[in-house]
Amino acid sequence: MQPGHFPANVIFLIVFVAANVFFLLTIHKLYKIVRLGKPEDRFDRAWERIKGLATFVFGQRRVIDEPAGWGHLLIFWGFIIITIGSIETFGAGIYHGFAYWKFLGKGLTGGLYLLQDLLCAAVVVALFVALYRRFVLKPQRLSYEDQRAANLDAGIIIGLILVLIVLLFGARAVEYLLAQGEPGGYFPKAAFVSVALSGLFAGYSEQVLHGWYSFFWWAHTLVILGFLIYIPFSKHLHLLGAIPNIFFRRSSPIGELTKMDLEDETVETYGVSTIQEFTWKQLLDLYACTECGRCSDNCPADLTGKPLSPKLTIHHLKEHVQKKGNMLLSQREAAAETSNPEGEAAKALIGDVCVEDEIWSCTTCGNCMEHCPVFIEHIDKYVDMRRYLVLMESKFPGEIQTVLRNWETNSNPWGLGFASRGDWAKDLRVKTLAEAGEVEYLYYVGCSSSFDERGKKIASAMVKLLNQSGVDFGILGTEERCCGETARRIGNEYLFQTMATELIEIMNGYKVRKIITTCPHGYNCLKNEYPQFGGNWEIYHHSEFLAKLVKEGKLRPKHGMDKNLVFHDSCYLGRYNSIYEEPRSLLKSIPGVRLSEMDRARNKAFCCGAGGGRMWMEETLGDQRINEARTEQALVLGPDIVGVSCPFCTTMFEDGLKARNMDDTVEVLDIAELLAMAVGTKED
Amino acid sequence: MDVIVLLKQVPDTETKIKIDADGKSIDTSDIKWIVNPYDEYAVEAALRLQESDGAMVTILSMGPERAVEAIRTALAMGADKGVLVDDPATEGSDALGKAKVLAAALRSMDFDLVFCGHRAVDDDENQVGIMVAELTGIPHLGMAVSIEVADGKARIERPLEGAKVTLEATMPALVTFGGAHAVWNPRYASLPGIMKAKKKPLEQKTLADLGVSPDEVGAQAAKMQVTSMGLPKERQAGRVLEGDTDEKAKELTRLLHEEAKVI
Ligand code: SF4
Ligand code: SF4
Repeated sequence: MQPGHFPANVIFLIVFVAANVFFLLTIHKLYKIVRLGKPEDRFDRAWERIKGLATFVFGQRRVIDEPAGWGHLLIFWGFIIITIGSIETFGAGIYHGFAYWKFLGKGLTGGLYLLQDLLCAAVVVALFVALYRRFVLKPQRLSYEDQRAANLDAGIIIGLILVLIVLLFGARAVEYLLAQGEPGGYFPKAAFVSVALSGLFAGYSEQVLHGWYSFFWWAHTLVILGFLIYIPFSKHLHLLGAIPNIFFRRSSPIGELTKMDLEDETVETYGVSTIQEFTWKQLLDLYACTECGRCSDNCPADLTGKPLSPKLTIHHLKEHVQKKGNMLLSQREAAAETSNPEGEAAKALIGDVCVEDEIWSCTTCGNCMEHCPVFIEHIDKYVDMRRYLVLMESKFPGEIQTVLRNWETNSNPWGLGFASRGDWAKDLRVKTLAEAGEVEYLYYVGCSSSFDERGKKIASAMVKLLNQSGVDFGILGTEERCCGETARRIGNEYLFQTMATELIEIMNGYKVRKIITTCPHGYNCLKNEYPQFGGNWEIYHHSEFLAKLVKEGKLRPKHGMDKNLVFHDSCYLGRYNSIYEEPRSLLKSIPGVRLSEMDRARNKAFCCGAGGGRMWMEETLGDQRINEARTEQALVLGPDIVGVSCPFCTTMFEDGLKARNMDDTVEVLDIAELLAMAVGTKED
Repeated sequence: MDVIVLLKQVPDTETKIKIDADGKSIDTSDIKWIVNPYDEYAVEAALRLQESDGAMVTILSMGPERAVEAIRTALAMGADKGVLVDDPATEGSDALGKAKVLAAALRSMDFDLVFCGHRAVDDDENQVGIMVAELTGIPHLGMAVSIEVADGKARIERPLEGAKVTLEATMPALVTFGGAHAVWNPRYASLPGIMKAKKKPLEQKTLADLGVSPDEVGAQAAKMQVTSMGLPKERQAGRVLEGDTDEKAKELTRLLHEEAKVI
């Protein structure tokens, strides 16, 4: 059965075509499952998308953010190079005389062979490192409920690649020897590993060598085809899912949740409670998961023992969607699943596949999405399921009901009388737009700094700074409304849209053009979400704005403070809006401040625990409160001050310090407060 | 089974109340209006009967046009239809006047049970429900924290100091509801509920429709008059006394004696 000769080549072709047909049928089914999802436009900015493939697929940009990723980079490229080699091998299986050098030329082929040998050798090393990591080091992030299945899957894949490389080298070594004896035969010496390995076969007769060659060739071919068939059923489905998923990654900011159409009266259900209510892209996400666990490794909920692990959410959804999708597509599958009491038919997306505590545990901090190498979008899935729970079932943690009511009647989560919204500014030099008419900047204060005693101090520091630098600004006072950000993240899109429309009307009524906020949540919402409803203004977070004023010399931080300061990045400022430098530059401008950074800082910053409406929910699950975990991370650095840029972070840290009885020794101060102290405003 | 819930729209409990220039009423210009919380418990109780016994739930309210909003809130929670008695002649009615109007409205409707909060959190009079029962000639079960219906009878529980009493009455009957938010956990309207509520029937009636003469109601018929209204003193910020324990104690006694005049 010499490869490339009759009948071997015919048999090969039959096997090859059969394996490919099977593979394509499986893919087709997966495609049909994805198409069960609702439409979503992900075809905009095509050029950006194509560039993304270069960076994130071929460059593995996000993968190599972590040390283990370098191993993946090698294996990935090794795999591509091996595939190029395999094409030659298959060619030779159809016609024995087929060889790259005959049309690529000897030089180019030599280079290719050298590269192949180098990469294959490197991949072997990388694979052993991978095995060592998974089976000896066992990092937490690789853990799954069914660890045996996960390990078996990984073992099979790593094993197959190893075997493949061994077989490839074997075939090459023998080919080298055969080429020596063949008139007109050629084998590039550049393939130095193969050449060296040929020593193992030295001295065998040509016939024996042919035997070895057949063995290596067939084994190699079957392993590859086996791999092809196995991929879609394993976590290596990501080989197929990741590329389109990276291509179709979101082009909108992560802080922009989808706008629901609440006008359409034909709509009968809102949010997501079945797989078909996800969009096709949300389903495609599931195929792309590499089970790398980076999302969970950065998830504040998971790390503090909440019943939420983004990697498991994706894994559970993937398993469910495949089975449920098959059911929806084939009556036979449907019958099988229905007759089985443990079958997928009986499983509810919310309740069985994802549990409510899981859905409500998410702080929407964005750490999962930031670190997912294949751009899976977790947050939108949780929010969409919340939307179903809130809008359809009125089901949410009990404490939320009061908060929703408070927003409805008084437009603030505390439920304090709406008429007292402007009271914080009573004794300050600040005009309302009603008094001032048009001003250059509107200072949109937000609920926290309007109603919460602690937050009010941030607002007054801000007002003093703005006055000091002569900025022409005003506030809305009693007319201000909650921006609705939190209601939206809790899933109450109806309430959010009502609030947004109302606020936009008020702001546009005053011809507002530029807005400053002291709250990253309001900042993100006004900047990234309000355009959906016709609110288009220039939005500044106070860190950006104050940094600008300092740079222009309008504010001079001259009073030094001899303090150790740790800065905590707010998720909605950092990850959501890429503002990392401005608050730091402000802090550095204050003489005497010694700024230190936590391990989890900037885009890895750990959430304070308040986002996604968690501020308003009890935190009873898990083994530690998120704010206390974060406070501990800061305390390791021995700070005198924790610097923050968000009123919610302020509260969370202050509570965290109280829990540790450290509230007397460590202060939590907003950048505006710190700057006001350093500037020494006239009004003090 | 038909259940009618009497519902009142009241100022939000967090509203900063301002006394009107007349010194006898409140300035309603800057007020957020909500459904009287006790009436909301009544709505919740009625909706539970709707679920368990297929009861038809009608909301009956009296008040100006803005009260429509309160009725829609109840419709969004799941009530079937609403009736609003909106007549300027009713303005200034005392409890009896209001009860007369509501009783007249009930006369034109079918019902097995009439539900309402035991009091409204605005004027806190605890009267209208009981008066409506009297004027309609049906039994009244007061301050319910639970309700069951069986064999033509309504049975409620009411907590007493450290105990509980169970009361029963033959229907038709009027039940006033007590308890607290945590007892009833009134449901939060779903979005389809809100959408449907916009299309549910809501009838508006005048005194003439009910056959009530304007002389029987309104301010001039009121047997009880509000003579004045006042706000409590504004709460002052806390004060921290300085000095050693002795001095602090002395200062505290002085303040309690001279300023607060409590000792
Ligand atoms: S957004 Fe944050 S809390 Fe939510 S799943 Fe992702 S990492 Fe976890
Ligand atoms: S969702 Fe992304 S980060 Fe999480 S395990 Fe899957 S691939 Fe890794």
